[in-house]
Amino acid sequence: MDSGGATPMTHHAALSWRAWGLIALAVAAGAALPPLLASTLVLTLLTQAAISGILATSVGALLRMSGVVSFGHATFYGIAAYLIALSIKHQWMAAEAAVVLALVVPTVLAFVLGLGIVRVPGMAFSMLTLAIGQAFHEFAVKARAVSGGDDGLAIALPPELFGLPIAVFQRPHSAFVLCWLTLAAVIFALYRVAHSRFGRITEAIRENEERARFIGYETDVPRALVLAISGLVAAIAGVLFALYNAFVSPEVLHWSLSGSALIMAIIGGPRLLWGPAFGAMVFFLVKDLAGNLTEHWQALIGLTLIVVTVLLPVGLGGSLIRLLAALRGGAAR
Amino acid sequence: MMAIQGHALTRRYGGFAALDGVDIAVPAGEIRGLIGPNGAGKSTLIDVLSGRAGKGASGRVELHGRDISALGVQQRRHAGLARSFQRTHVFPELSVVGQLEVAAMKAEAPNVDEVMHELGLGALALRRAADISYGDRRRLDLALALIGKPKVLLLDEPAAGLSMGESLALAEHLKDLVSRWGVTVLLVEHDMEVVFSICHRITVLHLGKVLAEGTPAEVRAIPEVVTAYLGSTA
Amino acid sequence: MVAQLLNGLVYGGLLYIVAVGLVLIFGLRRVVNFAHGSLFMIGAFVGFTIATRYGFWVGMLGSVLTLAVLGLLLDALVFKPLRDQDHNVTLLVTFGILLVLEDLAQTVWGKDFRSLPPPDLLKGTVAILGQDFPSYRLMVIGVAALVAAGLSLWLRFSKIGLYVRASSVDPVTTAVQGVNTDRIGAVVVALGTALAGLSGTVAAPLLAISPSMGGYILIESFIVVVIGGLGSFAGAFVAALVIGQIHNFGVVHMPWAATMIPFVLMVAVLVWRPTGIAGNRV
Repeated sequence: MDSGGATPMTHHAALSWRAWGLIALAVAAGAALPPLLASTLVLTLLTQAAISGILATSVGALLRMSGVVSFGHATFYGIAAYLIALSIKHQWMAAEAAVVLALVVPTVLAFVLGLGIVRVPGMAFSMLTLAIGQAFHEFAVKARAVSGGDDGLAIALPPELFGLPIAVFQRPHSAFVLCWLTLAAVIFALYRVAHSRFGRITEAIRENEERARFIGYETDVPRALVLAISGLVAAIAGVLFALYNAFVSPEVLHWSLSGSALIMAIIGGPRLLWGPAFGAMVFFLVKDLAGNLTEHWQALIGLTLIVVTVLLPVGLGGSLIRLLAALRGGAAR
Repeated sequence: MMAIQGHALTRRYGGFAALDGVDIAVPAGEIRGLIGPNGAGKSTLIDVLSGRAGKGASGRVELHGRDISALGVQQRRHAGLARSFQRTHVFPELSVVGQLEVAAMKAEAPNVDEVMHELGLGALALRRAADISYGDRRRLDLALALIGKPKVLLLDEPAAGLSMGESLALAEHLKDLVSRWGVTVLLVEHDMEVVFSICHRITVLHLGKVLAEGTPAEVRAIPEVVTAYLGSTA
Repeated sequence: MVAQLLNGLVYGGLLYIVAVGLVLIFGLRRVVNFAHGSLFMIGAFVGFTIATRYGFWVGMLGSVLTLAVLGLLLDALVFKPLRDQDHNVTLLVTFGILLVLEDLAQTVWGKDFRSLPPPDLLKGTVAILGQDFPSYRLMVIGVAALVAAGLSLWLRFSKIGLYVRASSVDPVTTAVQGVNTDRIGAVVVALGTALAGLSGTVAAPLLAISPSMGGYILIESFIVVVIGGLGSFAGAFVAALVIGQIHNFGVVHMPWAATMIPFVLMVAVLVWRPTGIAGNRV
């Protein structure tokens, strides 16, 4: 960590063995939580937080890798969830295949969209993402014959999925562990991407796309791939949601869900790999605590977003890191 | 052997011709200066040669005898044509060495250390581009073009905003690089000290056309050039 | 048939007034105001509140003035101070304001739908080509046309208008010209928000007033602005007309695809012309 300014994105020092140890410990601790917690209610909340954490991570990843703000990631999430529901309802294929389909389709959609609108300036892109969410949401509401409309679709999951009894995906005790581990795996995968050659190229493209082209890089495909990766992560969250909830309704496509995921990412710190997930945890914690105290949850969130964006751009996660670094620096003396 | 050649290069914006039928030929190993008043078309010429003008430009561009007119920006770079920018065009949040390494990943000759050393950026290696001084960023902009030992360098006002001392030091570096690497340079500059000190020949542009061409001494003596341009800046 | 065309013009007109406010703000401050839909919504509520006591016309005037003041505040507190930062910062802040304003509206006016009847003067119908068409809706078309014409003239013939047009095309050079960007910016932003308020009040008798009405109009106006081109007034005009007709057509004939069509159109236009039909070529 250098003292002035933010640490350069490149030349991340490879994490030390100690850091990896701590991370592994944190992940294991999370996984070990259920037996320790008596409350199913808390575990339910944590499971939802973990799934939201994955969705928030997808939005944060796009912002981090491409520098664009998306208000429409619920689209990939919701499409994945609906695909599982529809596949099973109409018995198009085995449930396992449906899961694969639910992951592939949003990813491909994101890639194609990314290629098509690659020359669209950042702000217009953000506006577009809001419109996407709306379009799919309205379709889900209005096309009752297909989607069940506002009533939604119940998902009649098979007794077993990928060899595991379906209860594993639905009981909070096991669902939380599954979602938590998936979250950790997703973050780790994004870490590997960030440190790969591809990651460095996308960083450069984010910083100055034109110059990246002039030093020899093709920029259209990498940018579309970033959107695809981000869409895949959102789809993963959507799949977990569908399996856990066994029910989908148009809410999974609403822009407010996208907005919440975005806010979680910003509050947690979008530049950090684990920032958005951290933001999701904080979000759920505060919502649970404050939800009963105030009716003005939405205004509170809005104000928090404004404050964090302007005053604390590194987010709570980033601030935490700086705090720890300062403490360690002080202790070293 | 002409390192870079342009035939009938034209760039129109609606009815206005920023570049109007320009022919230019720079032999290998030469440092060619490109001067002219504002609006003469110097940056546009660099844009057309480097492929930045896209479909708005017409004419033929040849690199070491090879027709590169149809090639995109990236492909021209791979063919050995690199450029720097008038308005500094670096990667703000990447470190100096980090962005040079990214450039090197695409190059055949990854000469990051050599370039950093050559341009005095070694001490700034780990600093973010956004945090270094303007002059240092200018040199970084140039350094990015030098990665991979390109055959032809198009430089758009590399000394812009630099102090006199910095400008002359830069000029020395360029002269040095040309003799060591055998690279050909086309240099747009307003700083006449730099131009006259290192350029072998000079092309003068005026209103999108070539006004004159010759050695520094020859060009200095042409009355039209003096009145059109040198008179106002001398 | 005629009625359908006219209804399309009504919706298109409302959209135009909102969208052109966005274009004004973007032209000067180079940011997209994500709170714009909420301003429309606040305009509707304020107009409603004032109108129930003092009549429709006073309500409309009051709403426009209130929103203009809100615009000045927004410019002073948000757009100007954050001018030099990454554009995403203002984007996110205005999104936060959207959330706050919705909550505020819910607190002050409650979650229930309200309705505002049209003024007595315009409660009747007018016969057009043999069909009866509500006078109020005709007025809406008229207001939109007036706004378009007025704006056109203002942009072309006034000093501020010239500046706004220049800034929309090339903000950097224009800023360097030494004109007082700050004051002009405040005026233009206030005009933009006032237009959102005007549209909100004028729309009130036609739509159900609720705190969530802002989100919908925001998205529709985004589609208009993106299709027309972020900095373009003429583009917004044309796009609003087109979307207005499409929206109406969709609502009547293909309700399940009503929002899909404008969205698909948006993507199609963006693939073909990334900066919109009349936007600046990159």
